[in-house]
Amino acid sequence: MPELAWMLPCIAVLTTLLAFAWLALAMDAHWRQVHGGAVLTPGVRVTLRVLGGAGLIASAVLCFIADRPSMAVLVWLMQLAGAVPLVGLALAWRPRLLRAAWPWSGR
Amino acid sequence: MFPSFRHAMTWLHTWFGLSLGYVLMVCFFFGALSVFDREIDRWALPDTRFAAQPAPSYDTLLKPVFERLKPHPDDIKATQDRVIGALPDPDTLPMDALYYYRTHRDPVLRIGAEFGIPNKLKSASDEHAHAHGWATIDPRTGAVLSESQFKIGSEFFYPMHYSLNWQWKNIGYWIVALAALSMLVALISGVVMHRKIFREFFTFRPWKTAQRSSLDLHNMAGVAGLPFHFFFAITGLVIFAGWLYFPVSTTLLKPLHDHHEVLEAAHTGLAHEPAGVPAPMASVDAMVLEAKRRWAARDMPGDVGFLYVNHLGDRNGYVSIFRAGNDQVALTGQGVHFEASSGRVIREDPPPSAVMRVNEFLTGLHLQHFRHWLLRWLYVLGGLLGCVCIATGFIFFVEKRKAQHARISSQGSRIVDALAVTAVTGMVIAALTMLVSNRLFPADMVGKDYWQKVVFWGGWALAFVHAALRSAPVAHARINPAWREQCWVLVALAVAAVMLNWLTTGDHLLKTVFTDTYWPVAGVDLSLLASAVLAVAVARLLARRERAQCRAGSDARQPGVLATAEAGHA
Amino acid sequence: MTPSQHMRTGAHTRLSIILRIAAALLGGYVFSWGFAALGVVVLSFAGMDFHDAEHAVMLLVFIVFLLAFLWAFIGRSLLRVWAVLAGGGAGMVAAAWVLQRSLLG
Repeated sequence: MPELAWMLPCIAVLTTLLAFAWLALAMDAHWRQVHGGAVLTPGVRVTLRVLGGAGLIASAVLCFIADRPSMAVLVWLMQLAGAVPLVGLALAWRPRLLRAAWPWSGR
Repeated sequence: MFPSFRHAMTWLHTWFGLSLGYVLMVCFFFGALSVFDREIDRWALPDTRFAAQPAPSYDTLLKPVFERLKPHPDDIKATQDRVIGALPDPDTLPMDALYYYRTHRDPVLRIGAEFGIPNKLKSASDEHAHAHGWATIDPRTGAVLSESQFKIGSEFFYPMHYSLNWQWKNIGYWIVALAALSMLVALISGVVMHRKIFREFFTFRPWKTAQRSSLDLHNMAGVAGLPFHFFFAITGLVIFAGWLYFPVSTTLLKPLHDHHEVLEAAHTGLAHEPAGVPAPMASVDAMVLEAKRRWAARDMPGDVGFLYVNHLGDRNGYVSIFRAGNDQVALTGQGVHFEASSGRVIREDPPPSAVMRVNEFLTGLHLQHFRHWLLRWLYVLGGLLGCVCIATGFIFFVEKRKAQHARISSQGSRIVDALAVTAVTGMVIAALTMLVSNRLFPADMVGKDYWQKVVFWGGWALAFVHAALRSAPVAHARINPAWREQCWVLVALAVAAVMLNWLTTGDHLLKTVFTDTYWPVAGVDLSLLASAVLAVAVARLLARRERAQCRAGSDARQPGVLATAEAGHA
Repeated sequence: MTPSQHMRTGAHTRLSIILRIAAALLGGYVFSWGFAALGVVVLSFAGMDFHDAEHAVMLLVFIVFLLAFLWAFIGRSLLRVWAVLAGGGAGMVAAAWVLQRSLLG
């Protein structure tokens, strides 16, 4: 299944990006960047952290399905390395993009 | 000496980072290019722009090619220095061993051989009484590529990242090792210094001062890339450790090593020495078929990655066939060994030991023979993150000090800044001038390989001269305009390289992407254009900052006052 | 502090920094060399295959070098740093040599 061979890594990359977006939104400073003055409630913060953690695990699982373990661990770690600066740059220049990860500002 | 642990770490980070950061820039940038070294080769050698080839037939195609292969003049010269008395005519030396080597990305095939020499060696510890020959061939026809068909990617950019292409006494390797060790030191000391690792995980504030935002980027690139940087620095060292950095088994422990070699030869049945009795060679193609059958039976079908014939034409001769590691992190493996005269299987390598598995994984993850394009691009990203980390380190160093240096008329930050320009935009310019010269010089030019290197180093030297000449504003705590100007040079060169590729080969992007898809060349062209776009954006941003500084400067009249105000603000 | 005193402290610090750097690089290298040699011999002695022993040691030797390097800058006494790194390294090389002879002899 060549489609699957392409799809899995792509979904894994998107999942990693989404997971880091959630983890970033769980921090007050970045929440304010994305959602203006809205307050980040403790409930939402916990939800975002859990989602972020689960997202990272999910992307790892996807990597391990796509490749043999020795390769998958490299792909996963490198995805993490690549995704962090992307989320950081998005926060710096286009913070509203991260609303896609969590559109509800709670206001 | 240092008042505290943190002081010691800060001192190490600053000064080792600064002094060896320039070398690290070279390692990371050319390392990132090396991920696609074969693709850069294709771009530079239009004759080799065809699909990657399977391993060719030895019996019908390679055998006559090896019969024509002679010792390389360079190696004869080097060998002459190691032996007593004059070497005989190189063309008469007998071939003792031969090999070929390929990966799934190679249209061309690398071959090589060892030739026996009758001379005694000068050094008693030198046991390698051989001269070497090598060549690159077209595996479809057996035609040998000429020496001036210089593989810019795999023969220049790739060795650049681990040896700086400075072969004298292997000094380049030692400098790179020192830089890699400094990278490890910088990572550890950086973690100690940076207290808010998690709080500032995603923090980048380009709207703050250059000092603050460069530190943000420095931290982000350092933290995000930490596992990559650590493992690539250390595996890079491990790859050369046993050969060059800690050659225990060829020096102090040579007796133990040699003792083991003899035992091993007895154990594996692969003769350590020739028998001295001539013997014919059985069909190597049949051996390759048998090896492939055995790999397939173990559920790991694949092609030959490395084939080695030892004791050629001797009764003790054997053929070792290793599988290419397209689907594994380890380079090659699953060796099957045959008796050369009969084609009988002597031995099939058992699964590697735990230590060897770890070793193959760690060196393999660095040398990347696997087929995984996503991971390759992630590695490029990792290498560029390394460059970002080091370059922002330079900028932070300059920004932190330039106001104070301007007050006391110190030239320190000015020098660091000029060197930083040379190590960032200057390095890219050097690589681009080489690509441009590759397309401008005629294909049959004598010494084309040499002149391309001259252009590379010349381009880099000019970039340094330019950065130094334009560096005066830094001494007044302003931006060096060389950053912006070199960005424009970079844009011009990158676009010129793409246009010249089109004009000289007819391979434009519409063709290489859509109508006659050839990703190696399209990928290089697209990367060049992407670099150009990025450089335009950076140049315009720098121009805005310079204008703002100028306005502020003319308001404050005195740059020193402005710098003090700026420093106070930060 | 008089200017001359200040200069002396400056020169003193510079010298001690140079000695620390030398200890980190040269001392650290000698120490790592000793570790590598002794490590290979000891592992061979314990029955490990020679090449396995060599590779196992090469995987660790730069970690050892890194730790030695860092310690050269944080160790309190410069004398002790030099003694442990250079002396310890030389000692390990000698031990490796002796052990190799008994292993082969």
